[in-house]
Amino acid sequence: MIIINKILNVDDYYFDVFMSISESLTGFSVNELQATGLAETYYTYILGHLDAATFVEFLTVSKNVFETSFTEDQLRNTIASEIMADPGMNDMAGKVVTMWYLGTWEGTYINDLSYKEGLVWNLMHAHPPGAKQPGFKSWSIKPVTTKS
Amino acid sequence: MSKTDNKKDVIIVGTGIAGSLIAKLLTDHVFDVEKGKMIHRADAKKSETIREISILMYEAGLEAGLELDSASSMTTYNEYMRTFYMQEAKVPNSPYPNLKQAPSPNVLDIEPIIPPFPDKKGYLVQFGPMPFASDAIRVGGGTTLHWLGTTPRMLPNDFRLTEKYGIEIDSPDSDQKTPINWPIDYNLLKPYYEMAEFEIGVSGDVSKQEYPISESMEQYYGDYVFPMEEIPQSYMDQKIIDGLTGTNVQLNFQTIPLLMVPSPQGRNSTPNPSYGKTRLIKAEALQSGYQLVLDRSEKEEYKALGAVWNPYMGERCEGNASCVPICPVQAKYNALKTLKKALYKMNDNENLQRNPYLEIKAQSVVYRLSVDENEAISKVHVRRYISKEKTDFVEEVIDTSDSIVILAANAFENPKILLNSKYTVIENGQKVEKIVANRSDQVGRNLMDHMVMLTWGLFPEPIYSYRGPGSTTNISSFRDGDFRSEFSAWISPLDNWGWSWPAFSPGSDVSEFLSEGLFGAALRDALTYRLSRQVLFHFEIEQLPNPNNRVTINDQYVDALGIPRPVVNYDLTDYEKRAMEQAKLASDQMFERLEIEDFTQYNASDNNTFVYNNVRYSYNGAGHIVGTHRMGFTPEDSVTNSYCKSWDHPNLYIVGAGNMTTLGTSNPTLTLSAFTIRSVESILTDLETQFKN
Ligand SMILES: Cc1cc2nc3c(=O)[nH]c(=O)nc-3n(C[C@H](O)[C@H](O)[C@H](O)COP(=O)(O)OP(=O)(O)OC[C@H]3O[C@@H](n4cnc5c(N)ncnc54)[C@H](O)[C@@H]3O)c2cc1C
Ligand code: SF4
Repeated sequence: MIIINKILNVDDYYFDVFMSISESLTGFSVNELQATGLAETYYTYILGHLDAATFVEFLTVSKNVFETSFTEDQLRNTIASEIMADPGMNDMAGKVVTMWYLGTWEGTYINDLSYKEGLVWNLMHAHPPGAKQPGFKSWSIKPVTTKS
Repeated sequence: MSKTDNKKDVIIVGTGIAGSLIAKLLTDHVFDVEKGKMIHRADAKKSETIREISILMYEAGLEAGLELDSASSMTTYNEYMRTFYMQEAKVPNSPYPNLKQAPSPNVLDIEPIIPPFPDKKGYLVQFGPMPFASDAIRVGGGTTLHWLGTTPRMLPNDFRLTEKYGIEIDSPDSDQKTPINWPIDYNLLKPYYEMAEFEIGVSGDVSKQEYPISESMEQYYGDYVFPMEEIPQSYMDQKIIDGLTGTNVQLNFQTIPLLMVPSPQGRNSTPNPSYGKTRLIKAEALQSGYQLVLDRSEKEEYKALGAVWNPYMGERCEGNASCVPICPVQAKYNALKTLKKALYKMNDNENLQRNPYLEIKAQSVVYRLSVDENEAISKVHVRRYISKEKTDFVEEVIDTSDSIVILAANAFENPKILLNSKYTVIENGQKVEKIVANRSDQVGRNLMDHMVMLTWGLFPEPIYSYRGPGSTTNISSFRDGDFRSEFSAWISPLDNWGWSWPAFSPGSDVSEFLSEGLFGAALRDALTYRLSRQVLFHFEIEQLPNPNNRVTINDQYVDALGIPRPVVNYDLTDYEKRAMEQAKLASDQMFERLEIEDFTQYNASDNNTFVYNNVRYSYNGAGHIVGTHRMGFTPEDSVTNSYCKSWDHPNLYIVGAGNMTTLGTSNPTLTLSAFTIRSVESILTDLETQFKN
């Protein structure tokens, strides 16, 4: 109960755990995730749409993962064994990654911004269709975000 | 029941591109009572001797979609955008209201059919055996709101498949064979193509067009440039062009050189200085009748026309890459632009003013026509629903004995309205039941679409797809050739949007890699690799007219307003299946040459799939709903003459892609626009007669 009250508060430590595990799962830095402007929206959305105990368990496991990993390699291995290899945790991890990458939770967009802020578009050096238009003729050259 | 008494000269059903073009051209002309002739508004002197043409348009879509003043149209369009952002499946119809009172076919409703039971899930009642795979949308402005905007003209031989390649098709319910030449040819349509390209605002480079035809490009285009310069081809196109230019493809009997052509398209780029001044489409009076010309006497430069709410927005394509289903800035043409020109005219002070002679009634679903003893269309029957939420409606009838009625409701709705319009006449003392415009028994038949076979794979280096308009290049090599006596011709657009169509990328790639247990940097890398290399080839295969591919109606199947739903029977023949086999051969060879890793997969569970010569092929619809009220030479072989006028009634026109005798390999809208524009010559002639009486 105490923990549930704590996670409700986005200023709390558990919010940081959420952001850190999001960083490790998505491969995008906390700063890049924050730049979507949706971090707190996503956190509270999950709280509102998930049985609280499941979220608490996910955050607690995540917290332990961080507390027991001292190098990048260790962290990766622990996530693989404690989260990705566990059916319940794996499901949560997939949902969290999908939320950051595509802006959806169980197939539904969180809001009209979440579609536009999907990170998957950055990976392909493009933009979400219908938003953030790059301008006339931009498509005829290599994306400016690529190194060559 | 309410009766509309204030008489109109013209009734148009539908505000899509066909209906809007007619509304625009008619409202640009007035009747000079002294001369007894129709003249262009620009040539009309201020005088009392001018009579305006009064027009009423019925539109099934919501009222809001037709309010075209700046504030309202921006609000409505932003609502479409917001809906688009929130829709999980961003299919063509997704941004627009899904109306129970005027439902639309939706690709999400398509499923395999298990005969004899129809698929009734969506608006269409599909008996198959193959599901018809395309959609359309009933909204102000019609389906061009979500078209892609590709605008190739048809090729000369497309108009004469019988003459050139000996192709004949079955006559309805008999063993007789019917020729399928058009009643018009390419040369006749050429000036109207130029008018359509002007009105739509086509960007392209005439000098880079290359087709497998015997005519020279000088003969085909003449001394001509498109209104706007070419839309830049994508980075991906360049890579594919580099790999394929100068090479051939070997089909079963023929070696075919690859022609990589930048596609002409209805989206804004930079106005071409050589095009110069803007134009007027003007009727010139002939001895009898009229001829439309593209008048060059205007003083103003040609300008790209942007959004209906703000012409300075969308003056150039900005690379939103969402043309289907919606262009956020309206850099892509949609019919609301033409409709707005009909609704607003320049007044004496050069200000835009609402044209009082054009009335549009929205939320009005036309469902039946009545006929009087002279076989004239005497009434149009309408059900007007009162709100977006409710299915309550008011029954309305308008008297049309002295009006011209124009059906422009698309190739599903036009035949549906006609088939629902039965009447009785006394012939030789006998009562005879007839169906409006259906002396030939061709209404609703010959339903066609391009079958889109998709092939997809990974390019050996990043080509950065998912950018730019949907398609900027096509392979035109297979659009014509002797093989057409054996199998369909096709056009091959290169698709700029990765595997989003066949595989629902990028969502499917994210779930695929997650299910493999990838996370963090490994997940990022896998997605970056995959998504920046995705290529998609299209093969849009011509379907021949077939009298058994048809739209009918059946009392059993009605919509929420009690109006019949289109009942569809549809199948492919070996002519098309064989073309898919040949197209796959071409695809395999091109993939190999480009070192594309093939990911194409056709499954037995796909909606549109078949096995031919022991190999499975699947395809999608192209959105090209065509053929259901064909034009032809005689009242026996067709529904309309070449001016889209019904053979059977003195005051009925039926316009749209349904008039196309055959499909060819071009996307149909430019061609339907060209002959719809031409139909105005006949409509003006009829109006002249009407006004003199
Ligand atoms: C995804 C997609 C992409 C496409 N891309 C291209 C392309 O790149 N190039 C191309 O050439 N073509 C393309 N097309 C085809 C193109 O959209 C159509 O050919 C064109 O819009 C047809 O115009 P229309 O005016 O005949 O019909 P529509 O645009 O469908 O307009 C019909 C109008 O009539 C109204 N209406 C219908 N029934 C009634 C009724 N009973 N009473 C009153 N009003 C009614 C409708 O609401 C609508 O406003 C595409 C189509 C789709 C679906
Ligand atoms: S690419 Fe974008 S701006 Fe250009 S036409 Fe398509 S949607 Fe409109």
